[in-house]
Amino acid sequence: MTGPSGSGKTTLFRVLGGFVPSMIRAKVEGDVLIDGTSVLAGDSLRPAADVGLVQQDPDAQICTLNVWEEVAFGPENLCLAPEEVNARVEESLASLGVAHLAGRETTRLSGGEKQRVAIASILAMRPRVILLDEPTANLDPRGAREVFDLLRSIGEKDGRTLVLAEHRLAPLLPLKPRLVLLEGGRVVLRRPSISHSDLDSLGLRGRWEIPRPQPARGGPPALILEGVSFAYGETPLFDRLTLRLWPGEVLGVIGPNGSGKTTLLRLVAGLERPQAGRILRPKTRTLGFVFQYPHQQIFERTVRREVSIEEEITGERLIALLHLARLDGLEEAPPLSLSLGEQRRLTVATALARGPELLLLDEPFIGQDRENAAWILSQVLAARTRGAVALVVSHDIPLVAALCGRLLYLGDEAFEGETADVLHHLEKTGREAFTPGYWDGGSQ
Amino acid sequence: MIASAALARSRGGLRRATPLANLILLLAFVVAVLGSPGIFVKLGALLLVVFLSALSGGAPAEVLRRGRFVIGFSVFLWLVQVLSVRDGSVLFSFGVPVTDRGLLLGVEMAMRFLVIVLSSLLFVAVTDADRLARAILSLGIPYRYTFTFVLALRFVPFFREEYRTVREAQRVRGIDRSIRSLKSLRRSIRYTVLPVLVAGLARVDTVAVSMKGRGFDLHAKRTVTRRERWHPIDVAVVGLSLLLVAATILARERGWQ
Repeated sequence: MTGPSGSGKTTLFRVLGGFVPSMIRAKVEGDVLIDGTSVLAGDSLRPAADVGLVQQDPDAQICTLNVWEEVAFGPENLCLAPEEVNARVEESLASLGVAHLAGRETTRLSGGEKQRVAIASILAMRPRVILLDEPTANLDPRGAREVFDLLRSIGEKDGRTLVLAEHRLAPLLPLKPRLVLLEGGRVVLRRPSISHSDLDSLGLRGRWEIPRPQPARGGPPALILEGVSFAYGETPLFDRLTLRLWPGEVLGVIGPNGSGKTTLLRLVAGLERPQAGRILRPKTRTLGFVFQYPHQQIFERTVRREVSIEEEITGERLIALLHLARLDGLEEAPPLSLSLGEQRRLTVATALARGPELLLLDEPFIGQDRENAAWILSQVLAARTRGAVALVVSHDIPLVAALCGRLLYLGDEAFEGETADVLHHLEKTGREAFTPGYWDGGSQ
Repeated sequence: MIASAALARSRGGLRRATPLANLILLLAFVVAVLGSPGIFVKLGALLLVVFLSALSGGAPAEVLRRGRFVIGFSVFLWLVQVLSVRDGSVLFSFGVPVTDRGLLLGVEMAMRFLVIVLSSLLFVAVTDADRLARAILSLGIPYRYTFTFVLALRFVPFFREEYRTVREAQRVRGIDRSIRSLKSLRRSIRYTVLPVLVAGLARVDTVAVSMKGRGFDLHAKRTVTRRERWHPIDVAVVGLSLLLVAATILARERGWQ
């Protein structure tokens, strides 16, 4: 199941799972049948026994402190005998290859591990249908690949019904899925099967073509990192990292979760101090920082007050800014009542309002459909044209590879260079999940 | 902080006890310092908490070194009492009279603070959150209520992280975070509480769906597969707690100072 943000995928999943209207009040017409039995008939046993829902955010859906307890949570709620609970936990963890995590604290798992534990906790309920609502949206490419591989094995081994909401379809093709395209709460397309050529003809490939002019490197660099080292406690993130970025350059920062991508932005913004080395950057007053989640940087009661936090913006300038963000006429609206896409456009427009020389974007494309992602891209390109330096942290590899002239990979080793060279090195060193080919079907 | 790396690494001492026994001990420390008159029992409790810290992996010197802020603040409390209490006989004066009553009350206040903070820190350092949660879940209280406690523990790191990010976002946008008036205090609270609350509500929604989808609240009872079992050390810890409470009662009865 695919479709733009706001097309109703999550709501439909909650209906399929029986959460709407039993838990979330809503008017629902029609019915959902599993093996001929209604999910919506008001029997609260049905969601637990027949349908399992894996949600988008792997961290938010975990409700206990220990992996074993998390997987046992469902079977224990079903009042199964302790021996049966033990057997189901062991079987579920083993089937996902994460038996070794049984004794671990859930807060100490990586994103990919958390999502595996979330899926294991659903498998332990032995539902006939598993719903997965964008299960890889918050994962790094390696974690996402793990989940896709896992889904293949569940589909092949167990013969369970899987219903997936997903934007990135190419890695799913080996599952031989049916396709449903949703738009505005309606099914606009059904296909009994899909192929690589369908992805092209339907515009669902996820490829981006962006002109990338080579910026002139004649003058002094706009941003310099010289021998920067940083560690959290005993965990080193960077060791003598050196970077030079010239006006008009866009650097994509990629790598696994926990490799220090956000920390790098925080160092450049001056929110952290390097333990060794130095960072020379434009004055902080010309810094624009877009955080991962819009609500983290929305503070005011109206859109107009929000854009005027740093300096009063009124009249023609306010109208122009809201028009740029496609928020015309919404100046008195509470920002947190806007859709996620509108909130994202507001935070990007606010960050760009003062024409920053340095633009930092932390996962700006999460939860954004293609139209919104294209709008964010256009703003980064406009900033690049006027000579700003931009650092873009993203797990959306096809997009970041198309946008950025240079890439920095952070992980077990750190390397940086022209985008084509870095991608070639990643492919050569077995990190295909970090190359666009894996995501748009160019390589499997 | 007493919750030092050494304590965290250690598997000995109170770390081997069940969290419930440790919780009872913590309560006994609180009863001892709040319920006993004078300094006799409080001094005993202070020595006991330092000894137990050492037994659980933190050397007394390290406990004192890492707890220096706590100790510094307790000295401050002592000074405030010494300089503000006028009752009792004047021992000496340097513009402000210092009385024997002020000195004693200061020592009492400082010890009370030290024991409560150090014993709480010791409890946090020797207690695994998931073991504590398991122990509370197996108490026999309806799990709908006890699970609230587990969820609260799950939300602590989340709120801490959200708070940090929101404060950083304010800093990046050049928002003045200093509090100089009621108005700026109100603004600071609104700017911080609102985004953290929004994040919290979104997470509550996801967790609720996750729990409900896995049969939470389906039956009045649920299976408890893993229980915290009681061992001789737990009996010893509870016995120690009872001794502390008994000493407190005796001190009150007999007027030990």
